Amino acid sequence: MDLDIRKRELVKEFYPILEKTTKWSKIWIGFLITIILIGLVAFVLQIVKGHEITGMRDNVVWGIYIINFIFFVCLSYSGAFIAGILHFFKSPWKNSVSRIVEIITVLSLMVGPIFILLCIGRLDRLHYLFIYSRIQSPIAWDVLAILTDLIGCVLYLFLTFIPDFAILRDNSENAPKWRRKLYKFLAIGYQDTPSQRDRLYKITKTMSVMIVAMAIITYTVLAWIFSLTLQPGWNSTIFAPYFIVAGIYSGFGVIIISMFLIRKYYKLEHYIRKVHFIGAGIILLVMSLLYGYFTFSEYFARWFSHNRANHFLLDTLFGRYFWEFILANYVGVLVPIVILFVKKFRTIKSITFAAVIAVLGLWLNRYLIVVPTLETPYIPIQDTRPEFIQYSSTWIEWALTFAGIAAFVLFFILIMKLVPIIPMSGIIDNEREKIRKPKEVTQNNMLW
Amino acid sequence: MVNKLYQYFVIILLVGFMSNNTSFAQKNDLKNYKMLYKFNTVKQHDNSRLFEVSFVASNKKDRKVKLPVYGADINFINVVNEEEILLGTVKTDKEGFARLTLPENQTYYTDVEGYINFLARFESTDALKSIEKELAIKDVFLELDLKEIDSIKKVTLNAYTLDSLKTKIPLEETGVIFSVGGFISNLPIKEATIKDGEYEFEFPDDIPGDAEGNIDVFVSIEDHEDYGNVVQNKNVPWGIFKEQGKKPTLTLWSHYAPIWMYVVLTILLVGVWSNYIYSIINLFKIKKEGKNLELEPKD
Repeated sequence: MDLDIRKRELVKEFYPILEKTTKWSKIWIGFLITIILIGLVAFVLQIVKGHEITGMRDNVVWGIYIINFIFFVCLSYSGAFIAGILHFFKSPWKNSVSRIVEIITVLSLMVGPIFILLCIGRLDRLHYLFIYSRIQSPIAWDVLAILTDLIGCVLYLFLTFIPDFAILRDNSENAPKWRRKLYKFLAIGYQDTPSQRDRLYKITKTMSVMIVAMAIITYTVLAWIFSLTLQPGWNSTIFAPYFIVAGIYSGFGVIIISMFLIRKYYKLEHYIRKVHFIGAGIILLVMSLLYGYFTFSEYFARWFSHNRANHFLLDTLFGRYFWEFILANYVGVLVPIVILFVKKFRTIKSITFAAVIAVLGLWLNRYLIVVPTLETPYIPIQDTRPEFIQYSSTWIEWALTFAGIAAFVLFFILIMKLVPIIPMSGIIDNEREKIRKPKEVTQNNMLW
Repeated sequence: MVNKLYQYFVIILLVGFMSNNTSFAQKNDLKNYKMLYKFNTVKQHDNSRLFEVSFVASNKKDRKVKLPVYGADINFINVVNEEEILLGTVKTDKEGFARLTLPENQTYYTDVEGYINFLARFESTDALKSIEKELAIKDVFLELDLKEIDSIKKVTLNAYTLDSLKTKIPLEETGVIFSVGGFISNLPIKEATIKDGEYEFEFPDDIPGDAEGNIDVFVSIEDHEDYGNVVQNKNVPWGIFKEQGKKPTLTLWSHYAPIWMYVVLTILLVGVWSNYIYSIINLFKIKKEGKNLELEPKD
């Protein structure tokens, strides 16, 4: 096999995807930018008028911002976990989904922490977090963990991109000058020589292990921010594993949704096949069973404890938050289980539908973990106005929430315009292996 | 197939909503509650008498759900030969308790057998039926004598009732509990049975007291069928003073974290960051090799 010819063929196949711009894609990008601009207006208003224009008050100090933060960090963690596992074990699916997973990991870790900044009333004191940092505080652990994780994920993403940047640098003669310059800069002189390949493979493999470990630590620390406090509904020994399971659950949900959209829009049916959806769907089924088990265990222990504060919390959940509780913990768990359990239902569309339900259910579950607990603390709230006790989000919070989602989608699209969503270097590696060990790799190849 | 999916979806929703709505409605319906009405009286250490009624509604299906009856008028009555003498009326508080304390000099009328008959009555309202509970007890006197003779601390109890001629009648075969006062509840130190109206024992010398070594010694008769609840106590400097343990050095507001926390965090951060640096160094090596290749003349 002439590698140069094969690389040229692959660039020829994937380059149109990078340059693909239709009328609808322009409208879509314009729509995303509009949402981000509305979010910026909301942000300026929040800065000028203060947190008074949000639903957060003295008692319920956290609202949908923190839920978005947990949700995005959870996505990032699960993305890093899945990407690391795929790479380390040289999974046969690697080429089809790894880039999607890696992009989700980095982008969600960039968007997520913005939401925690929105919770802070005095952003001008943000640097106090570092100046007066207290090592015994889980908040300090969280800041350290997220920063370290973010740098690790960006580095890992860059390592996986280098061979593709090199292929694009060598085969984009017709590309605009800025693009060629950018590829040359990002390819850092990678020529795919055996020593460069070995070196890159070695550090990527080490980093894949590192980001799995970092993801677990980061998400555990995030769970500890809640579980190390003595709040009803938060103080739990199983919160860290519960968060990790929930993270993988929602992570697979978002991966399935992304796979569906990318496959449909870029017509990548040849690379993202039904077998990938079924595989991801089965993992989603296992995770939904585990997540359902942890959720049941959490609420059952609280109900059985005969602790008055826990009973107030459960009364609130089954009273004022009845529909949300049903949607998050019944529909959000049982519907994906039913769809994914029955073989007949396992079509690409229904698996994606199950993933959408799982992701929405999990977001709502996070809401039920944060808000009702703050509304029913151990020491009852007395002699205060109802709006101080009961949280209700405002348009400012929703505008910033949608702006965060829009930014995530927009950056995803922009990264896809820079490198192919299917790693060309992965295809080359696979074909190279095929020549070296024909029988072994052929069996693996059947899957992707 | 999609239609079938939606059918399943709707069925699950309906089952969930129906079952939970029912249970929620049950919590708010008075018919599903049973009234728990308890009446008790305690003769206190200063010979005053406390009357207490607890009035709570308990859910028939979920016994953990209890609602105190608030603001109910409770009449405390002394009954003598079918004649009712009102002792006082008290409203129940937010916890469902109505408490009345009458002083030592309050006169109670007894029946021919020497029993005082008490009645606690709640008159019916539009929502609740009337309820009453009766108690019949004899008035008991407990005299606690605490003396230290030859370094031996002795506790002597005399217990008796008075007949119509004010003659002391010693108590027989009656269980009493001796205890010492504690921060949250009393600590029992002796359970005994009175004979000939008297009981005596040696007080242990290892009971902690307050900063001055003072201790409250209690004796009580609890839920006796003839005497009800009676408490007597005396303060005596028989306790030993125990210094509190060392103040905890590790608190959330401590200036420094424990050493192990610094060690673990340093190991973790050094481990992770050294790996990042190792990766970056290798990237530079890749770049250098690439540069060298570019400089080499092409065939």
